[in-house]
Amino acid sequence: MNWQLVFRFVKRELRSTEARILVLALAVAVGSVGAVGMFADRVKAAFANQANVLLGADAMISADRPLSDDFAAQAAAFDLRTTQSTRFGSMVSKSSGSGDAALSDVKAISAPYPLRGVIEVRSADGASSGARGARVALRDVPKAGEVFVDERLASRLDIKVGDTINLGKNTPRVSQIFVEEPEIAGNFLSASPKVLMSIADLASSELVGPGSRASYRIQVAGPRAEAFTAAIKPKLGPGQRLETVRELRPEVRQTLERSEQFLGLAASFAVFLAVVAIVLALRRYLKRELDTATLFRTLGAGRRQTLLHFVGQFAVLSLIACAVGVALAYAAQAGLAFAVRGLFASELPAAGYAPLVKSFLTGLVLLLGFALPPLVALASTPPVRALRRDLPAPTGGGVIASVLGIAAVLGVVLLQAQDLRTGMIFVGGIVALVGSATLLAAAVLWGVRRVTRSRSKKPWQLGLANLDRRRLSTSIQIACLGLGVMTLITVGFVRADLFSAWQKSLPPDAPNRFLVNIQPEQIDTLSGMLKERGQAAKFYPMVRGRLVAVNEKAVSSKDFVEDRAKRLVDREFNLSSSESLPPGNALVAGQYGGDTESGTLSLEDGIAKTLNVSLGDRLTFDVAGEKVALKVTSLRKVDWDSFRVNFFALIPKSTIEPLPKSYITAFHLPANDGKTLPMLVNAAPNVLAIDVSEIMERVRSIVEQVAKALEFVFLFTLVAGLLTLYTAVVSTQDERRYDTAVVRTLGGTRSQVRSALIAEFSLLGLAAGVLGVLGAVALTWTLATRIIKVEFIPSPGVWLLGLLAATLCTLAAGWLGTRSVLSTPPIQVLRENA
Amino acid sequence: MNATSEPNTNANVAIAADKLVRAVPLGDRTLTILDDVSLRVNDGQTLAIVGASGSGKTTLLGLLAGLDRPNSGSVSWHGETISTLSEDALAKKRQGTVGFVFQSFQLLPALTALENVMLPLELASNPDAEALATDWLKRMGLGERIDHQPRQLSGGEQQRVAIARAFAASPSIVFADEPTGNLDTDTGNEIVELMFKLNRDQGTTLILVTHDLELAARCDRFIRLARGKVVSESGAA
Ligand SMILES: Nc1ncnc2c1ncn2[C@@H]1O[C@H](COP(=O)(O)OP(=O)(O)O)[C@@H](O)[C@H]1O
Ligand SMILES: [Mg+2]
Repeated sequence: MNWQLVFRFVKRELRSTEARILVLALAVAVGSVGAVGMFADRVKAAFANQANVLLGADAMISADRPLSDDFAAQAAAFDLRTTQSTRFGSMVSKSSGSGDAALSDVKAISAPYPLRGVIEVRSADGASSGARGARVALRDVPKAGEVFVDERLASRLDIKVGDTINLGKNTPRVSQIFVEEPEIAGNFLSASPKVLMSIADLASSELVGPGSRASYRIQVAGPRAEAFTAAIKPKLGPGQRLETVRELRPEVRQTLERSEQFLGLAASFAVFLAVVAIVLALRRYLKRELDTATLFRTLGAGRRQTLLHFVGQFAVLSLIACAVGVALAYAAQAGLAFAVRGLFASELPAAGYAPLVKSFLTGLVLLLGFALPPLVALASTPPVRALRRDLPAPTGGGVIASVLGIAAVLGVVLLQAQDLRTGMIFVGGIVALVGSATLLAAAVLWGVRRVTRSRSKKPWQLGLANLDRRRLSTSIQIACLGLGVMTLITVGFVRADLFSAWQKSLPPDAPNRFLVNIQPEQIDTLSGMLKERGQAAKFYPMVRGRLVAVNEKAVSSKDFVEDRAKRLVDREFNLSSSESLPPGNALVAGQYGGDTESGTLSLEDGIAKTLNVSLGDRLTFDVAGEKVALKVTSLRKVDWDSFRVNFFALIPKSTIEPLPKSYITAFHLPANDGKTLPMLVNAAPNVLAIDVSEIMERVRSIVEQVAKALEFVFLFTLVAGLLTLYTAVVSTQDERRYDTAVVRTLGGTRSQVRSALIAEFSLLGLAAGVLGVLGAVALTWTLATRIIKVEFIPSPGVWLLGLLAATLCTLAAGWLGTRSVLSTPPIQVLRENA
Repeated sequence: MNATSEPNTNANVAIAADKLVRAVPLGDRTLTILDDVSLRVNDGQTLAIVGASGSGKTTLLGLLAGLDRPNSGSVSWHGETISTLSEDALAKKRQGTVGFVFQSFQLLPALTALENVMLPLELASNPDAEALATDWLKRMGLGERIDHQPRQLSGGEQQRVAIARAFAASPSIVFADEPTGNLDTDTGNEIVELMFKLNRDQGTTLILVTHDLELAARCDRFIRLARGKVVSESGAA
């Protein structure tokens, strides 16, 4: 293969508009795919960092025995920051006081702590007036002989800064009263007031030792935390667990996953547009290469030599375009990051280069998939075409071409999609769109033939007849324009409707305070107090039970492989009951029993999968020493990001009635309301009050940031899309210019030519608009109901607007591209195109 | 005529065609474009193919030049039958044996004049492609225009570039299909002069399709086609 000639030709080719447009189209395509991908990764990383604040770290290894130093060494090898802590429950009382004691969640920590987030205290200014001061970050950990206690414990035991408390054998001094510390992940229903002590005092306190139940933990944070967790997971011994925020908090996991889905969607749209741009630019480029190939063959290049040359030349062009695209992508994502600066608490974390590599490969695969077959056909151009340029271009490889092209698109879409399902939906969408485009084009052409049958044609009929004459070209244009219109409308829809539907699922008045451990006789008092504050709270019964047998076969955590399953079996389940399917729950399988039958169990779908149980299985729980056997009669999906009171397991009222139970309720209070909860707790001192306004604010802020980041990404996609559509119209200008010149040569007046062009473009735009809107409706409906799972709200206004915009834009772009032909002497156009 | 079967004794025959038939399917019939055409041209000779438009001149030229294959009959160059060669062997054979000047100039628009002329040399991996091409363009009086692209050149200049390209690889036979068809009379004459001069200087054989009888008269011989058959012939092989 003559590489020298290949390179010389690439250099020469780049002078032609066709090659330049191809390179540009590909570069923009690769650029937008890469930019969106990389930016999405950075945004995702930023969200993950924020979510990790809930754990106080990126990941945590916890164990029931002290951890060996190996873990810290391993983490250091991944350049991670680490901190060790020991967590346990202990009774705490004030040294000089009534002797009241409270079970507290004690953590012995050492600097640096926390690795993510901060310990928050109240600023002093508000304290005197009784109002709660603003929250400020504390950059400190308890020194030896000191402790930090949280507000809940302080108010319960009337502790002030400077008091000493009894903590095991020690009597440390309280040096800070804090509002919140980062680690609020984990089951918040079992959260107790918190105490932070210095790890230096642990031994002397004699609180932990052989036989005591403590959790020994090492927390890690850093960019390579994920790699570390992947490496460490298989090495965990018995009793050692790896915990991340995703595993601990279902609502955070769901929020993160949805953000990722949205960003992934944006990237898929970029691929869609890339396909359109590439197909159109390629068609035009290959048409031109036909002449070169003919000349090669005439001048004595064999089929093989010709093939190798064109494939080589094309490969080099593609590589250049992809490289330019990657550079564009890098610059564009940096621009996007700059545009959203200030939206995020801190600078966006740097992203890996995987999205760039992916976009590079996407470009190559698309190009080669579409170009290889026609290039093969090109190489077998009969040399006699040099004498007769009107001979039809070789069409060999038509079938292979389609198969390869389709395979390339499918491959790329699947590669780009978040998961196989989404990918398949997109693929199905493309196939359906191409199918409908073909049908629609056929219908349009049929109609055109009918209205243009008359002998003496009006100018507009001539214009429409042109569409019929270039049937293949017309079909391709309708399909490509339609695809582009579909993408743009869908982007607009996702941006507006899907997203607001998601935001609505987290309303501002969602419950953010929980009361747990309410005794039946306290319900009236508490509900009365809540009613005074306008809260009609519902009280749910709750029973704690440990899973002891499945289908009468005893189980223990050793019977399960999955970490989550082990943990579930180790801990206690919260069983509740509800007459009807609770809001935010959707039945997946079986029938929701409610109260009609006793001994039935409705399980959350995910937990059923984790425990590997299905409908009809019998689960036995140990509730305060009593064995309760329950049959699984329904499976539910639970909308975790709603922050309602949700239960994994629901049993009938008749079953729960005789069991020892407490109640739980949830309600909404303004975030700065610091009085109501203590008041409620005063009225019912055994009740545990939990404030999740913090975690909710965090999730809400993630949602808001996703919204803003997406706005930029979608804007970017929109611009790329409009450019693509413009290319689509312009790339088919040559033949139109030529036709128009012929008509003018034959005496057509300017106004006749103008009417013909307007008729042609209007119909083209209208057809593409209809196709695009129908495609968009189908695609958005599928996205809403199958992928994102939000309500589908039809918006005819947007559709009509899309239709109108498609027609007008096609007309405008077409007009701008062809208009000059009216003022150019026809002979010049004819000679250019001879 | 009996000599055609004995190539050795015909070493000075540049090109010979024997009973060429070319037909294309047309609906359910076949349309015979060329019917039983035979001819031979000696080394260094010039032959004009004349006839009305649509009489089959271009078709014949394509067959003689090995760009197309006959349905029956054969073509040989310098005594070697080319009709039976494989597609690629034939392409290789064209390299260095034949050159072309087309009616519509077939210059590649993205390439400069120099690069267009270099192309056949490059395809034949000639290391002196650039020097040779430059030299040829200078001989065509285009020394100042070597870096211009076709659209920057007039029709006559474009055709001169095409002639330079045809002769640059030192072919033994040059085929030209109505080389003046797109040019005005004066420019056409100029091009014709140039081609005849090169033909003499290089000792090439020239096959020229034209409907210009004056031009045909300047050739050593001519054949006239009508509806795919040779209807008259002048001179002798
Ligand atoms: N591939 C083809 N298919 C159908 N008809 C052809 C084909 N090639 C040539 N013809 C027809 O054969 C006749 C001779 O063509 P051509 O050799 O181009 O004539 P000339 O060059 O003398 O004008 C014309 O009528 C032309 O339309
Ligand atoms: Mg002809």
